[in-house]
Amino acid sequence: MPRILGIYDLPGKTAAAITQIRARGYTEIITYAPAPFTEVEDAVDPKPSGVRLYTLIGGLAGVVTGFALTLWMANDWQIAIGGKPFSSIPPYTIIAFELTILFGGLMTALGFIIKGKLLQFKRHDVYHPRFSAEDFGVVVTCQSRDVPELESLLRAHGAMEVTLVES
Amino acid sequence: MTPPPPAEPVAAMVRPASRYRDSKVNRDLLGVMKGTSIGYWALLGLCVLMVHVAGGIWVYQVYKGLGIAGYAHPVFWGAYIVTFVFWVGIAHAGTLISAILFLFRAKWRNSINRSAEAMTVFAVLTAAQFLGIHVGRMWKSYFILPYPNQRGLWINFKSPLMWDTFAISTYATISIVFLFIGLIPDLAIARDRARGFRKGLYAALSLGWQGTTNQWKAHNRTVLHLSGLATPLVLSVHSVVSWDFAVAIVPGWHSTIFAPYFVAGAIFSGFAMVLTVMIPVRRIFRLEAYITDYHFENMSRFILLTSIIVGYAYLAEFWTAWYSGVEAEQSAFWLRAFGPYWISSWVMIIFNGVLPHILWFKKVRTHVPTLFVLSVCINIGMWFERYVIIISGLSREYVPAVWGTFTISWAELGIVGGSFAFFSMFFLIFLKLFPIIAIAEVKEIAIHERAHAEEGAH
Repeated sequence: MPRILGIYDLPGKTAAAITQIRARGYTEIITYAPAPFTEVEDAVDPKPSGVRLYTLIGGLAGVVTGFALTLWMANDWQIAIGGKPFSSIPPYTIIAFELTILFGGLMTALGFIIKGKLLQFKRHDVYHPRFSAEDFGVVVTCQSRDVPELESLLRAHGAMEVTLVES
Repeated sequence: MTPPPPAEPVAAMVRPASRYRDSKVNRDLLGVMKGTSIGYWALLGLCVLMVHVAGGIWVYQVYKGLGIAGYAHPVFWGAYIVTFVFWVGIAHAGTLISAILFLFRAKWRNSINRSAEAMTVFAVLTAAQFLGIHVGRMWKSYFILPYPNQRGLWINFKSPLMWDTFAISTYATISIVFLFIGLIPDLAIARDRARGFRKGLYAALSLGWQGTTNQWKAHNRTVLHLSGLATPLVLSVHSVVSWDFAVAIVPGWHSTIFAPYFVAGAIFSGFAMVLTVMIPVRRIFRLEAYITDYHFENMSRFILLTSIIVGYAYLAEFWTAWYSGVEAEQSAFWLRAFGPYWISSWVMIIFNGVLPHILWFKKVRTHVPTLFVLSVCINIGMWFERYVIIISGLSREYVPAVWGTFTISWAELGIVGGSFAFFSMFFLIFLKLFPIIAIAEVKEIAIHERAHAEEGAH
């Protein structure tokens, strides 16, 4: 299927183009941006990133591990220290807190790698260093008959260049 | 209406680099990494030499014992723990700038967050060295880890030293993750423009980053969540470090004010270190367009605020000691101000509590040389703060018969000096290998400004 690439210089134009392309029923859209712009990201997909689930799972695993580790170790070989109970919740809360942050942070990083598909090292054929300069790229997959319509849509929103990419 | 020109084939799109307009921000900020002067190599060489000298002293100390470090009754936490606390404090500005200012949407952080994050990582690594250096039998340092040993014995989680182990290792890990995640888009920018060894390095480190919507969405969310996690973490780390002291019953240590007092002090010294490092960096690499006086002024405001908190804590400690009616506390604080460590105490009070008040004046906040001198004074003052707390506390406990006086030894001076070289060495290497200013974040602001200008023109 042919893909058509439009190059933009500003996030507002990019977002407007994407919104209209989506309104016309095209769903296979990939956007390249030189920096984070929420208007562009929300135009492509308004749903929040799934990374948050990873943070939650990591944080919960951390707090459970923190309390389980300290309580089990303190009771596995009991040593009386300063007349305090073996299962002393206040000091163990510190360990549980630190592990919540540690596991939560590491899982967030893992979520980023998975959700951002960062282990796919091979770059897309349409990727160009200009997207890490200051240009925005919008790639839409379509049927051959839709190429003229998409081209005029992209140009109508101020595309600097429009390129047909044969697959 | 004239029909649009036909779409170009893909072959036409893949053009030589000269056909597209590279970003000025990219050129300027990647430019910092290019070329090295004789001065750079001389400074790096000096740092490496000092690290080796410190390493040599440490090997000698392992052979001879901690006696050469001036550790003698009653002071068994000498300059090593002073310097450990100092470096943990320095590590606080990075996370404050990256995480807390991110959550508050303070956009001015964008030019300084990367360098502050890098400083955080290097300062934590430097601090962590001292946990191994200050113990007598360093080959048994691994006893602090909860590993299943053959005796079935576990570590004591009621000890503040254990809390410290978990807090510092979590802080080091999260700081490295934060720095790396923030670097990925910039590493991709460097990858697209580098050649040879650097291209391979940046291609590997930037993973599969292409700046697609999915990636930016995941990146934004990750930075937000890491900021949310790092904010309570940064407050907890120096609180935990302060509890190393506050949980003990040593006069001058056993105080509930310690956690907020240490956290404020850490942010205070951290910002001072960012100024000490970034003022010369800005000058040498001509980054005035990116790190403006406005950034320095905002950091000065933080320094002023935290100086007031720290100064208040100094006064409150004296007040509490007097008001408590506890003789040991009263004597500890009397000796702090007028005892054998009076010079250190007054350096601490003047450099941290009095001198920063010149920052009430805008003229001072925007006068870069004054800021530089002040930031160095604050660094010295904050090192002495820890010296005063630790040394004067330990050398004057309850029974006058066991009082003693501590003098810093040559071995400690060598290793403490080496720690500054260790930190500087990493920073110098980082400067030439990685973007010192967050390029994508600066570009985000630049593109927004361009968009506003264009909208205004229409």
